[in-house]
Amino acid sequence: MSTFLQACVNGLLMGGFYSLMGMGQNVIFGVMKIVNFCHGEMLMVGMYLTYFLCTTFGLDPYLCVPLVAIIMFFLGAVIQHTLITPSLGTKSFTNLLFLTVGLGLLLSNGALVLFGSEYRTIPTSYSQVYINLGPVTLALPRLISFGVLIVVSIALFAFLKYSTIGKQIRAVSQNPVGAEVVGINTKRIYILTYGLGTALAGIAGALLTGFYTIFPTAGASFGFRALIVVVVGGLGSIPGAFFAGIFLGLLETMVALFISPSYSDLIVFVTFIVILVVRQLIIIRRK
Amino acid sequence: MLKVEGLRAGYGAVNILWDVAFHVDDGEIVAILGSNGAGKTTMVRTITGMIRASAGSVNFNGEELARHNSRYILDKGIVQVPEGRQLFTEMTVLENLEMGAFNKQRKEHFAENLRMVYQWFPKLEERAKQAAGTLSGGEQQMVAVARALIGMPKLLILDEPSLGLAPNIVDDILNVASTLVRQNGISVLLVEQDITKALACANRGYVIENGHIALDGTSAELAANDHVKKAYLGI
Ligand SMILES: Nc1ncnc2c1ncn2[C@@H]1O[C@H](COP(=O)(O)OP(=O)(O)OP(=O)(O)O)[C@@H](O)[C@H]1O
Ligand SMILES: [Mg+2]
Repeated sequence: MSTFLQACVNGLLMGGFYSLMGMGQNVIFGVMKIVNFCHGEMLMVGMYLTYFLCTTFGLDPYLCVPLVAIIMFFLGAVIQHTLITPSLGTKSFTNLLFLTVGLGLLLSNGALVLFGSEYRTIPTSYSQVYINLGPVTLALPRLISFGVLIVVSIALFAFLKYSTIGKQIRAVSQNPVGAEVVGINTKRIYILTYGLGTALAGIAGALLTGFYTIFPTAGASFGFRALIVVVVGGLGSIPGAFFAGIFLGLLETMVALFISPSYSDLIVFVTFIVILVVRQLIIIRRK
Repeated sequence: MLKVEGLRAGYGAVNILWDVAFHVDDGEIVAILGSNGAGKTTMVRTITGMIRASAGSVNFNGEELARHNSRYILDKGIVQVPEGRQLFTEMTVLENLEMGAFNKQRKEHFAENLRMVYQWFPKLEERAKQAAGTLSGGEQQMVAVARALIGMPKLLILDEPSLGLAPNIVDDILNVASTLVRQNGISVLLVEQDITKALACANRGYVIENGHIALDGTSAELAANDHVKKAYLGI
């Protein structure tokens, strides 16, 4: 029983990361209808950025989170303005595919050149502190990360629902022509949206460093899972991404617990394909 | 109020509008009539800054607007109810109306303007919290008109408000437009294929064919014109 609860808690925690990644991907997809294939690499950049800030300035990894968010926001905004917006004009999906895939390769190989392939961690005084919550034991960094993840997710919901820019982001994703009719500057919303998505990936990266190793391809599995989350939760749907992320995290740990940890990737992908096929069949049936 | 001269515009290399010229005076309802593909919507998009004119001028109250972006033109008071309504279907009716308040001044007047549009369209107050996409076609058109009115137009452009709607709803909407012209002194540019309805409501009209202005005159003159009768009214 307690191992089961433990697995649930771990699943929820990883699921929170998948949710955050999926929501970032979905905000970008909703507004520009492009799949951001370098989303996972942005998480990795967030990790190295945290590592850099911690080792250079002696900051605590969790204190770096807001800094990383701001820096990543600007990185995303610049990439959108200089690279993605000009390619959107060409209306060529392949251009954008190569652009974001290429950016991802550039970032992971850049990290390899700059930091080498070794695995790095950020040691903290509390990384080995464990908290007992009834039958479950949690490393303190995981607990803090989970708390921050939830706060960030709620803040994102509230931002999109109530703020002026959040409403404009939703307006552009639902109807770009209508957005122009009411005078929304879509180019500006593109910049803010890509910045926001990139910042969310960066936050996920920063929060991971408390208990996860840092290496140049650390983002790949998160990037891929973000795609699964987006497809399962519904393209463009923020609540859908949130719940799909949690579901994916729980699924992984349950497979690891009841079957074998080495099967968890396999089963995740099989589930993904099954959901895709079933959904397609439902769509065909309706027609 | 609005004076358009020598307007040329199109999509990419394809030119659609050829030297379009017309004017709308203060407190007038002017109809733009034409069949499918004549270039009416292209003209609306050009005047509202959604596509750039390649030549010509759009003079609004003495200011040249042809090279400005859509936000600037909205600020000046040209607001459209676009073809196909272009609502934010997953947002509530109220959120859609909020989106119509595009600048600081419109936001400041939002509460009073909201009360006004609810008086025009009481249905919308009942449906305020409902997603706009779940409304009937007529109700959605009301949201589109209300959203434009929240933008406090000096010139209101209606692009085919009759499209797919029952006649009585179209009458309601045209009635609101006429009353606003009388009470608030705004002007209306009414783009329509339904010539009978449009001429009944408008003071003057222009007929656009293949991107050219082919005819113009008062509503009575156009209704009596042989070409209009044959080509558009089937008489
Ligand atoms: N986005 C676009 N890209 C390329 N061509 C377009 C575009 N929109 C319209 N056109 C073309 O421009 C011409 C004029 O279209 P427009 O929509 O202005 O006609 P309209 O008079 O509004 O017709 P309707 O009564 O059917 O709305 C048509 O030949 C159309 O095919
Ligand atoms: Mg049209």
